[in-house]
Amino acid sequence: MKGTDSAAASRSNPCLEAAKACNLNDNCKKLRSAYISTCNKEVSASEHCSQRRCRKALRHFFDQVPSAYSYRLLFCPCKDQACAERRRQTIVPDCSYQETEKPNCLTLRSQCRAEPLCRSRLADFHSNCQAFLTSCSRDNYQACLDSYTGLIGLDLTPNYVDASFSNPMISLWCSCQGSGNMEEECEKFLKDFTENACLRNAIQAFGNGTGLTFSPK
Amino acid sequence: NRMKRAKARHKPCSLKELEVTISELGLGYNSDETVLFRYCSGTCESAVRNYDVSLKHVRSIRKIRKEKVRARPCCRPLSYDDDVSFLDTGNRYYTVNEVSAKECGCV
Repeated sequence: MKGTDSAAASRSNPCLEAAKACNLNDNCKKLRSAYISTCNKEVSASEHCSQRRCRKALRHFFDQVPSAYSYRLLFCPCKDQACAERRRQTIVPDCSYQETEKPNCLTLRSQCRAEPLCRSRLADFHSNCQAFLTSCSRDNYQACLDSYTGLIGLDLTPNYVDASFSNPMISLWCSCQGSGNMEEECEKFLKDFTENACLRNAIQAFGNGTGLTFSPK
Repeated sequence: NRMKRAKARHKPCSLKELEVTISELGLGYNSDETVLFRYCSGTCESAVRNYDVSLKHVRSIRKIRKEKVRARPCCRPLSYDDDVSFLDTGNRYYTVNEVSAKECGCV
């Protein structure tokens, strides 16, 4: 009886199924466990984890594990809150995403641009997930998801803001308060994450499994 | 059918695997995440050493009486699988080690 209960729970929760698929693959299980334990490890009484190490382990996971596994964890389609919370938790946001204070988004962007890898991945994201161009079609979806995933573990680590399943929103851990005369520029930059139709459609298409074939990286 | 059962019982010590949920492991964690549980199973008849024969005999002539001794090799893990991490039903992550076998042997 218990066995059928958990089988039913897994069928109705695609994020749980994605975790199962990863756990049953030795390489995925190992690298997932590596980032989770790093991101969950308390370093001292004042510092509940090492964000630097956590982000590095996350980058390693997304670089090494085929997207057939990693994208299922990151973009699983949800019909309830338990599923959506699991999806939000994928990158261990307590350590990799959140910080005690929210920096200004433009400050964060400058930080990213000062670093070659982050700079190039951000440029990729902007060109592959352009929200305002009609060119973002099914053909671009994979490229958009690739460049979104490429940002995870960098200064501009994006994530789901909450466990909403009906209307999931993605953002950066930053705000546009204190932007001064750059307020408009800041809002525009942040909206590339929070109100990006291309990214949203790409995630949705991945969840539906419609017309997307994901080759291993 | 009886032959089949008898044969199964006499399989030499080897690694087997089963899909189980974290909850089913009985470690006190509550999570529906499924993992591959690998365990050691089988007989160790071909691995009997002179040690086992001698120990059995010394015990049978009652030179060993009170101590608990084992005069047969055991099918046990020689090494364990990598750590496994999971999210529990309270949305907390945990990592546990040495849950699953990697390699088996008669010891």
